[in-house]
Amino acid sequence: MISVDHVTVRLQGRVVLDDVALSLTERRIGVIGDNGSGKSTLAKLLNGLLLPDEGTVTVDGFDTRSHGKEVRSRVGFLFQNPDNQIVMPTVAEDLALGLKPLRLEAERVRQCVSETLERFALSHMADRSAHLLSGGEKQLVALAGVMISEPDILVCDEPTTLLDRRNAALVMKTIAGLSCMVITVTHHVEHLDGFDRVLVIDEGRVAHDGTPDQAIPSYLESLS
Amino acid sequence: MIAGLYLPGDSVIHQLSAPVKLSLMVVMGLALVLVDHIFVMVSVAITTGFVFSVLAGLGFARLWLATRPLLIWVLFIALAQFWFVTAEAAVLVSLRLVTLVWVAALVTYTTRLSEMSDVLVAICSVFRPLGVNPERISFLIALTIRLIPSVFEIVRDVRDVQKARGLERSYTAMFVPVLTRLLREADALSDALVARGFERWGDQQ
Ligand SMILES: Nc1ncnc2c1ncn2[C@@H]1O[C@H](COP(=O)(O)OP(=O)(O)O)[C@@H](O)[C@H]1O
Ligand SMILES: [Mg+2]
Repeated sequence: MISVDHVTVRLQGRVVLDDVALSLTERRIGVIGDNGSGKSTLAKLLNGLLLPDEGTVTVDGFDTRSHGKEVRSRVGFLFQNPDNQIVMPTVAEDLALGLKPLRLEAERVRQCVSETLERFALSHMADRSAHLLSGGEKQLVALAGVMISEPDILVCDEPTTLLDRRNAALVMKTIAGLSCMVITVTHHVEHLDGFDRVLVIDEGRVAHDGTPDQAIPSYLESLS
Repeated sequence: MIAGLYLPGDSVIHQLSAPVKLSLMVVMGLALVLVDHIFVMVSVAITTGFVFSVLAGLGFARLWLATRPLLIWVLFIALAQFWFVTAEAAVLVSLRLVTLVWVAALVTYTTRLSEMSDVLVAICSVFRPLGVNPERISFLIALTIRLIPSVFEIVRDVRDVQKARGLERSYTAMFVPVLTRLLREADALSDALVARGFERWGDQQ
C-alpha cells in the first residue's frame, strides 16, 4: 500500500506535481496523461528516486524520505529504456545483480537466476550479450532483473513506449501475469484492459481517478 | 551500450575458475619476459595459439582478430630490434608481445565479467578495515567497462545527425549534444542503479 499525502514537487522552480493526494492499494493501476504532465515524476516519487518538496510518500508505513532503502526493497522499478537499466554484460549476470542486496550464497544465486530465467522464458539466452538482444527481449530481461528480488510492488514508467506493437503486447502480457501489485505509466490505453484503477494526470494534478471505463474515455475526449 | 567480451562456452578453459586463470596469466606474463631462447619462445607461442583457438574453442579467426590491432606495433618494434640488435631478438620480442596479448585475450574471452570482479572484490577486501567497500569498487570498474561503448555510440549518433545537417567538421557542434546526452544517460543510469538496490550492496546483514 502506497500513500501519497498532499505532495508537491518543484523542479527548477516549476511546480511539476501540485498537491497530489492518493492512496494506492489496487492490484493493477494505470497512469496516463500527456507528455510533461508529471507521470514520471509521480512514478519516481513512489520508490523514493525523487523526494517531495511538500507532503510525504509512504510505502507500507515507510517514509520514502527517511527509509529509502526499505522502500526500494519493496518497490521495484521498470524504466522506459532497458539499456539504462541493464548493467551487466550477459543476461544471467544482470539478473544476479538484482540479488546482490540479499547477499545470498553463490549456489543460491545461481539457482534463483535459473528459476527466474525460466519463469520469464529467457533460459535460452542466459549467456547471451544483453546489448545484442532485441528491444522486447531487453525489456523482459530488465523486468526479470527487477522481479528476481521479489518486490511487493512494481512501478513501470512507459515500459513499452520504445517497443513495436508485438513486443509491447508481449511485455504487457508478462507484466499482467505478475502476482504483485503493479502501477504502470503508459501511452497505450489498450493495455489498461482489466486494470482496477486508472489515474489521468494533467499539468501536475490528478484530473481523473476511476475505473478504466470511466477514466479512459474522459481522457480520450479531452484530446479532441 | 554494454561491453561484453565474454564468449560463452564449455571448454576446459571456460571451466577453470577465474582466480586460477588470472594467476596463470600473471605467471605466464612473468615467464614470457624471462624466456630468451628462441625455440622455447616459438613453442610457447604455438602452444598458446593452440590453447586459444582449439582447446578453448575460440577459433583461428578470433585469434587473428586479437592479433591484428597489434601487428603495426609489432612490426615497428621488430624492425627496430632487427636493425639495432639481431634477427633473433626481433623474433623473440615479436613473439613475446603477441603471446602476451593472446594470453590476456584468452582469459578475457573465457571469463565472465562478474567472476573477474569477484576476484577483484576478494583482493580489495584486504582494505575493508580502511573503509573501502570492495563490492562498489569492483562494480565501478565493471561499470566503466560497460560505459565505454555507450560513449562511442553517442558520439557516432551525434556525428550522424551533424553530418545530416552539414556540420561534420565542427567540434563545437559535436561537443554540446554529446555532453548533454552523456549527462542524461548518466542520470538515467544512476536512477536505475538506485532502483536496483545499489545503495544496499555493501550492507552487512
Ligand atoms: N530534472 C528536471 N528538472 C527540471 N524539470 C524537469 C525535470 N524532470 C522533469 N521536469 C519537468 O517536469 C515536468 C513533468 O515531467 P515528467 O514527470 O517527466 O512528465 P511525463 O513523464 O508525464 O512526460 C515536465 O514539464 C518536465 O519538463
Ligand atoms: Mg515520462
